[in-house]
Amino acid sequence: MNAAGTLWRVRAGLPRLLVPIALAAGLATLVIVAVGGHPPASQAQQVQQIAAGLHCPICKDLSVADSPAPLAQQMRQEIAAKLGAGESADQIRAGFVAAYGPSVLMSPPRQGVAGVAYYLPLLVLAAGVVAAFTALRRWLRTPQPDPPGSASPRLSASQRRALAKAVARLREEEPG
Amino acid sequence: MRRRLTRLTRRRTRLLAGVGAAVAVIVALLATGLGRDPSVIASPLVGHMAPNFTLAQLDGPPVTLFKLRGQIVVVNFWASWCTECQVEQAALDQMWQQFRDSGVVVIGVNFQDTAGAARSYVSTADVTYPVVEDTDSSTALAYGLRGVPETFVVNQSGRIVDHVIGPIDEATLVSEINAMLLASAR
Repeated sequence: MNAAGTLWRVRAGLPRLLVPIALAAGLATLVIVAVGGHPPASQAQQVQQIAAGLHCPICKDLSVADSPAPLAQQMRQEIAAKLGAGESADQIRAGFVAAYGPSVLMSPPRQGVAGVAYYLPLLVLAAGVVAAFTALRRWLRTPQPDPPGSASPRLSASQRRALAKAVARLREEEPG
Repeated sequence: MRRRLTRLTRRRTRLLAGVGAAVAVIVALLATGLGRDPSVIASPLVGHMAPNFTLAQLDGPPVTLFKLRGQIVVVNFWASWCTECQVEQAALDQMWQQFRDSGVVVIGVNFQDTAGAARSYVSTADVTYPVVEDTDSSTALAYGLRGVPETFVVNQSGRIVDHVIGPIDEATLVSEINAMLLASAR
């Protein structure tokens, strides 16, 4: 076997090898992303994330992250200080809720009366589906009236039997 | 046929009653919300323990709220640039003079201000009660402050019993303190 022949065979086999290699690389990347998750956020990113979920108490529809108000600025500093002291995001949010009430959260909590905002639309949708299904079933069950001028009216089995009996009786009664 | 018609009418009446009840509930909820004054925001801290603080006095030793347990503490957040704070300041000072020997402490917490401006105001307006500096606003945030003036009344066991947004009403506050003192004397 000469060198040129070997090279040709390797070249010919390359495309076949590339597919499994690419698949393996893709799978490995997915595994790394799934296991490793996102890289840990920096403190500034964490402050931004927490501040974005808090409503600026003196602004209209602005988060603590977006508001230029001095109070919002101080809230961002407070978040940074608390993160530095080792408090978790949930603990920090809970602290602000304790002082300002649940209205300080940009999205209402899922518990309590505020939870209605999340679950009521789903309940209404489910009730609508059930109502539509029931109405459709009832409509399909109701015997449809025959179109005007139709030659053969649809009869039930008992009606057909009664009709047959009546016809037979008439025939018997017929003279000759 | 008639029976079927009666059943249909009954079903329709029930459906209408259900929709009517749902609409009534929604209207009642909206009416309750619209009837409320949005500027009056009840503090969730009322009825709870007052957040502790240790703050430097403008001229004097630091003040720790926890160490004042057993006394009624009126915590007033203010700033030298706030005109409404100037309106209530004389009343606060008068109250402090009236009750300081009866176990009542008034603390002025300076908010979003400079020490120089605060000190200048205190000397000009002749403020006699202790004034502390909340330089990083951490105390203001712990009390859920939205602006100045805001006043919190802390009872002898360290619980917040009242929260006033805007200038205080001296007569109301005096009668409230008198009632607390009377209750503790019994």
